[in-house]
Amino acid sequence: MVKKLVLLQNIVKTYQTGNIEHQVLKGINLEVKEGDFLAIMGVSGSGKTTLLNIIGLLDKPTSGTYIFDGQDVSKLNSKEIAFIRNKKIGFIFQAFHLIPWATTLENVLLPLLYRKEGFTKEDEKEAVKLLERLGLIDKIHAKPSELSGGQQQRVAIARALINKPKLLLADEPTGNLDTQSSSEVMKIFKELNQEGLTIILVTHDPEIAKNAKEIKIIVDGVFVEK
Amino acid sequence: MKLLNLNFLKDIVRELFSNKGNLFFMVLALVISLTALNTIYSLGESAKRQVLEALANLQFGKDALLIIAGGGRIIGLTTTRTDTLKLEDVEEIKRLSFVKLASSWSRGILEVSYQGEAEKLRVDGVDLNYSLANNWYTSSGRFFNQQDMESLAKVCVVGADLPKKFKIKNPIGEKIKIRGEYFEIIGVLEPKTFFGHFRADERVLIPFTTAQRRVFNKDYIDAVKLLFYPDTDMKMATQTIRQILRKRHNLYGVQPDDFRLITPEMSIQRFTEASRTINIFLLAISLISLIISGVIIMNLMYANIEEKAPIIALRIALGATSKILIKHYLTMCLLIALLSGVIGWFLSIILMQAISLFTPLKPLFSWVTFLISLAFATITCVVFGLIPALKATQIEPSILLKSL
Repeated sequence: MVKKLVLLQNIVKTYQTGNIEHQVLKGINLEVKEGDFLAIMGVSGSGKTTLLNIIGLLDKPTSGTYIFDGQDVSKLNSKEIAFIRNKKIGFIFQAFHLIPWATTLENVLLPLLYRKEGFTKEDEKEAVKLLERLGLIDKIHAKPSELSGGQQQRVAIARALINKPKLLLADEPTGNLDTQSSSEVMKIFKELNQEGLTIILVTHDPEIAKNAKEIKIIVDGVFVEK
Repeated sequence: MKLLNLNFLKDIVRELFSNKGNLFFMVLALVISLTALNTIYSLGESAKRQVLEALANLQFGKDALLIIAGGGRIIGLTTTRTDTLKLEDVEEIKRLSFVKLASSWSRGILEVSYQGEAEKLRVDGVDLNYSLANNWYTSSGRFFNQQDMESLAKVCVVGADLPKKFKIKNPIGEKIKIRGEYFEIIGVLEPKTFFGHFRADERVLIPFTTAQRRVFNKDYIDAVKLLFYPDTDMKMATQTIRQILRKRHNLYGVQPDDFRLITPEMSIQRFTEASRTINIFLLAISLISLIISGVIIMNLMYANIEEKAPIIALRIALGATSKILIKHYLTMCLLIALLSGVIGWFLSIILMQAISLFTPLKPLFSWVTFLISLAFATITCVVFGLIPALKATQIEPSILLKSL
């Protein structure tokens, strides 16, 4: 039986602005199994970012249960959550979020800096291998400002993969890229998924969503049928 | 996480130098106060050393006592008459078995001139024991002799810097005017730089008898320097001399002394007390400036953290805990402290060198000063850096996904 990696049960998220309560997620139920490739689609304000924040343990739900990799995350302290984010989840952002003063290699190795054991020469070799696979071998010592958007996003992918995560979360990963770079990135995602990596992708672009095995549409804080 | 991870440190250094303007102002704020702190402390120490050296240099060893006319505090205005100390008092004191040598003198601030150039200088009327009592001899020419004393000779011995002051090339045999009368220079003293408004090396010595009768026209003296035989009980000696003087001056009961007895311990103690007061005052100023630089650092650090919020959020998203973030920013503060400490120290050395060109103070280099200033810098940076560091841990990693 395939293991459930993400299990959301009746997830509600409410934001308070002054005296006004604003419910962004209204009882989300979601099951993502290992090896899945899910695209979550929705318009701006539909709640897809909030949902991704909760799945990525960057935010906490107001109510509901979230089981990640068999663990009820509401029972974990901030240190344990940081550990999961570091070891089991890889993030890819629309704006890449690379450290401007660090080289490609240093950016890729950044998550390893926050492991207990730090990183070794072996880890550096591993990072170089990843960058080679992503076609960035000649850009290892380049700063982000010297890279194109597509190259920066590939660095971010390498950074997300360096810790061999169980789940890859991508937030509008092609939002800042041209068509060619977008299709390159999606090709990489597909390959990674074929190798067994679970991917959750958030996008508003149906063409991008088509690359996923499954598409879910969120409208006004709830999933709807296509 | 290891205590000192080189990669972790490299990341911090890179971040620190990523905003050079910010770094410059943080370091500048601290450097100014540290330079001041270092310089003040070192100059104070240097002054102290030089005064102690000068005291030793003046034969003010442990077996010496100075009697100054007029009662009151050791240094400061006198609160009694100053015309009661007489040569007869000295004669009686000289008869005490433990007194090896006595040298009396009178002094005044008089106009001294040479070829139309005039200066107010200290002129001392000194006796033949002066050189011996003060360990101060002529480097050229000769000192006064018995004949000078008896004939009320109009001759003088001058401090090492006086010829320079009046641009006298060959001072021996030249005549300077003291209060309108010509005095022939017969000797120049060895240099003996020390403090005081009227520096010793610019002093003019004239025979005691000449001073009393021709210049000051007085029958009392201003001071006596006594040297005792080795191993004299200073406490007993001081007490005995005090009793003799009180009796001779008809002082009884609660009437205050009309003289001051200064022992080497007292002069050192007085100097230490005075310098302590000044040091506390200067230290307070330095501390205030340190606090100000701390506040500047705190504000710049705040701005830095706000500017770098997305990067901090990224670090959190990638698994950095609050502990790691605090360590990150406190290490950054330590680096700022270290950088400022080193720069401040070098600047203070340069400043002291510059000060030494214009004053008799000698520059002083001490690792203790360096470490103290580094410690102050570290405390300032850590205390004022902690609040911004804590602020960094409050950043919500969810801001990273706000782009949608």
